Amino acid sequence: MIAKIADVEKNFKSDLKKVSQPNELEEIRIKYLSRKGLLTQLFEEFKSLPREEKHKYGQSINELKELLLKSYDEIKSKLESSQAKNETVIDYTLPERKKQIGSKHILIQTLDEIKSIFKGIGFSVYEGPELESDYNNFEALNFPGDHPARDMQDTFFINESFLLRTHTSPVQIRVMQQLKPPIRVIVPGKVYRNEAISAKSYCLFHQVEGLYVDTDVTFTELKGTLVSFAKQLYGSDLKYRFRASFFPFTEPSAEMDIWWQPAGKEGRWLEILGCGMVDPNVLKNVGIDPEKYTGYAFGMGVERMALRKYGIDDIRIFFDNDKRFLTQF
Amino acid sequence: MKISVKWLNNYVDLSGISIWEIVDKLTLAGLEVEEVEDQAAAFDNMVVGLVKEVKKHPNADKLKLCVVSDGASDYKVVCGAPNVDVNQKVPFAKVGSIIPEKGEKLSRVKIRGEESFGMICSERELGLSENHEGIMVLNSQLKEGTALSEALNMNDVILEVAVTPNRQDALSHIGIARDLAAIFDLPLKMPEINIKEEKETSGSYASVEIVDSNKCPRYVAKIINNVTIKDSPEWLKNFLKAVGLRPINNVVDVTNFVLHEVGQPLHAFDLDKLSGKKIIVKTAGDERKFTTLDSKERELLPDDLMICDKERSVAIAGIMGGENSEVTSSTKNILIESAFFNPSSIRKTAKHLGLSTDASYRFERGTDPDIVVWAARRAAQLICETAGGNSAKDEIDVYPRRIESKIVELRYGRLNKILGYDIPKITVDKILKNLDFKFANKSEEKISVKVPLRRHDVEREIDLIEEVARIYGYDKIPEVSKIQVTLDKKVDQSELDNNIRTILTGLGFYEIITNSLLSESIAEKFGRPIKILNPQSSEMSHLRPSLLPGTLITTSKNLKVKENDLQFFEIGKIFNLKDKSNISSFDDFEEVEHLQITLTGKAVNTEWYEKDRNFDFYDLKGFVVEFFNKLLKYNKGQVKLNSAGDEFYQYHFDYLIENKIVGRGGKVRNGLLKLFDIDQDVFSFAADIDSIRSIEQRSYKFVELLKFPKVYRDFAFIFDTEITFEQVREVIKESSSNLLHNIKLFDIFQSDSLGKGKKSLAFQLEYFSDSRTLTEEEIDKDFRNAIKAVEEKLSGKLRGN
Repeated sequence: MIAKIADVEKNFKSDLKKVSQPNELEEIRIKYLSRKGLLTQLFEEFKSLPREEKHKYGQSINELKELLLKSYDEIKSKLESSQAKNETVIDYTLPERKKQIGSKHILIQTLDEIKSIFKGIGFSVYEGPELESDYNNFEALNFPGDHPARDMQDTFFINESFLLRTHTSPVQIRVMQQLKPPIRVIVPGKVYRNEAISAKSYCLFHQVEGLYVDTDVTFTELKGTLVSFAKQLYGSDLKYRFRASFFPFTEPSAEMDIWWQPAGKEGRWLEILGCGMVDPNVLKNVGIDPEKYTGYAFGMGVERMALRKYGIDDIRIFFDNDKRFLTQF
Repeated sequence: MKISVKWLNNYVDLSGISIWEIVDKLTLAGLEVEEVEDQAAAFDNMVVGLVKEVKKHPNADKLKLCVVSDGASDYKVVCGAPNVDVNQKVPFAKVGSIIPEKGEKLSRVKIRGEESFGMICSERELGLSENHEGIMVLNSQLKEGTALSEALNMNDVILEVAVTPNRQDALSHIGIARDLAAIFDLPLKMPEINIKEEKETSGSYASVEIVDSNKCPRYVAKIINNVTIKDSPEWLKNFLKAVGLRPINNVVDVTNFVLHEVGQPLHAFDLDKLSGKKIIVKTAGDERKFTTLDSKERELLPDDLMICDKERSVAIAGIMGGENSEVTSSTKNILIESAFFNPSSIRKTAKHLGLSTDASYRFERGTDPDIVVWAARRAAQLICETAGGNSAKDEIDVYPRRIESKIVELRYGRLNKILGYDIPKITVDKILKNLDFKFANKSEEKISVKVPLRRHDVEREIDLIEEVARIYGYDKIPEVSKIQVTLDKKVDQSELDNNIRTILTGLGFYEIITNSLLSESIAEKFGRPIKILNPQSSEMSHLRPSLLPGTLITTSKNLKVKENDLQFFEIGKIFNLKDKSNISSFDDFEEVEHLQITLTGKAVNTEWYEKDRNFDFYDLKGFVVEFFNKLLKYNKGQVKLNSAGDEFYQYHFDYLIENKIVGRGGKVRNGLLKLFDIDQDVFSFAADIDSIRSIEQRSYKFVELLKFPKVYRDFAFIFDTEITFEQVREVIKESSSNLLHNIKLFDIFQSDSLGKGKKSLAFQLEYFSDSRTLTEEEIDKDFRNAIKAVEEKLSGKLRGN
């Protein structure tokens, strides 16, 4: 038995030395390691030996098996790597094949950011028309017919009773006519102002309106909600203030300022939004009892936020759609 | 509006309160201070100097060596002025100050070998006047070392305050002072008026008649005789300059002063130019033209309220006086008008005249009917002081329509319900009292107040709540840290747009946002555009009837900066008139949300791995089909071709969902491209998002995965070039059983070797059944049927046989 083991080992080693191709290695595998190979045959023989003999040869035969497998693996991986070298040489440094993913307009991205903050605290998103009635844009929002308050918003008129909305607030009216409190919505959209086009102003811009009407809506909640919003957008160490202001459709009215200090420049207060408690006249105009229900509303300009966030100093670039600008975002 | 802090102090004692606190508190209370101008800042490091010694400069004939004292130290100064002399008090700028004329910082210098530690200034150097004859010599009573700003009376701080349209009452120094008094809980001090009056009453010199008492509820006139028209005294000139007005003469300056002091616009008439010594207040009627005191002829409307004498108009009420009755240097006797006009009447007139004055600005927002007598007397007092006249006794006060104060009730409980915060009742009461709301009635639960007539903005409980909240301070009202959220279904109407954006950006498109306003000449080519009544310019006079022009404008702009390869989309509203040409209801026009997808330039640029290729029609089709497949998962959308095109497209295809056209796209006509200076092909597709939205959003059901193998068969045919892919596809489909699921065109080949006017199309057919494995025989049978049909119906010649 021991001679047979030595024989197999000797023959295997000499066969292996001759191997230079994968198919030759495969022949060796079949000859020695397959189901009918020499090694298997040895084991068959070994199995039939009496017990005390098994004891005698067990270690040798196992050592042979280990040796065969190890040697076979070594040669196999050697062959494989030498073969790879013979294939085409790859220049891994070639530039990548170009792919293109587009992007949403930066104003839409900014709007999305605002939307997602408010959606996260239970606001729905509604939209409304840009060509509006004078009634929805002014009258129902408590702007009396010839009141100087109308001068605050230079308006593009279509005729006496239709205009391009000057704010997203008319959607407040539409939503309140359509839904019953509790109403908690934001309204993103385009609005128009009849102002000369310059680096600071464009004839249209994007606004996000917010409205919450329910039985116990308070000024403290308005403040809390907007502070939370501003902190999510501008960071939690934000310095802010609410100052009294005037909008015909809210009372008390306020504007929210944040302290803005770009690196290396002098800090200043910057208005980020207007807000207030929904004026009882507005609630009456849509058939909601102002004694029972209260509400708050707010509105903010998207362009202004984007200008600030990305350090852009000319609003017109948003509407030029220069590819070199678009591909930056 | 410019407010002098120095003058504010005459009405409320602000000593001990810093400018910054005043600015902050005013701003927080709703009177936003937009700018702060510190006059003294220009005179930093400048003092009153005493010239102690003047000697000749050893190296220069025209220069002198002086010693100037600031009371503490002596400074050597080189001076070139001819008038410098010993014992003069002079403006002395020390090293480190900035000379206003040049804006340069003064440093220690050597002039012709002599050191100079500062500068003695002329008026021009200080920015006070054009005078540069010599140095400015100050009053000898001044003490050396006194800050120059103080010595020159240039130590005021001017605030630029933005007053919201509801706060007409704050359009004056006393108006601002009243809010400050309430904010800091200080008393408001009205100036005392003492006039020595004649025995004769104002009424004995003139008379007033109000014809239209609706437009003019109250008119007060006061007569002052024997005035001397001349320049105003320095204090008055300084005040006017500080608030941004040009001094004119003492009488006009006083009327302007009173306007800025208390907010009541006044007008001074030359009494001797008033025919019949009579004032009649009535509408213009037939009178069409009137020349105002700026020598401009104004066109009148019959409803404009005019101030007239017995024969003619002498002023446009509340807006501007007439040239024919204005105060001139020869004026002796004057009539001071102090009236209350109906705000909307003044507003209408000012608007149609396109004329806004300090007076009309206030009248149209509503002035205080209760201040008119006080204002007339205040003017009389100051005119007597500055122009030396005699004030007639009393005043003519015609007040046919007495305006009553409103009583408004405030429930403390309601205040707290709105704010969500308890402001103590005692604080509420104090704030209202400080704002001059008089208590009419008061109980535990509520308080009734009489609203001063100057507060046109306070009519309701909520108005009082705002008054209390803003004076109390919004910053003192806390913010909640928790909110309740209702658990009802949330709506997001922007969801479809978002999905569209996600898909298109994934396909490589950039989003653009273009102007919705176009010129008429462009807009009318794309639909039935709606006209803007008052456009900014003819370039933006119409609403866009389509997104295509915006796309082409964008393309054109990009081509100009050599960005030629573009792949973008826009989502936006388009506006079209329906049948009628004007709009009287929402039914007369369409506002529709559209999507425009656009391709132009190269789809692929040459790279090491591929050759360049322009975008083409099939790219557009591919993007559109894939877009809809992803947007509407159940989509059985169809592409329907039209090689004849339409007015925008040379050839196009429609995209149909459930037999409804939802979009159209194709190759944009060259004629249109030319209008926008575009010289490369543009492929564009427009979809109606609203109609996509209206197609029922069916829920998509999963399709079982195929459990049996697919089998493929290829063939290629030679056809006449006129035969279209679509024709071949139809024939193959018709001739095949339902085992055929897909027909793929994998090669097109055209060459002379095929024969003239011939082409080869190669197809791969995909067969499978979702219930069993197919046998070779049944596939072969189907495949042969297809070959036969193509050969017979389209005269196709099977290749490779």
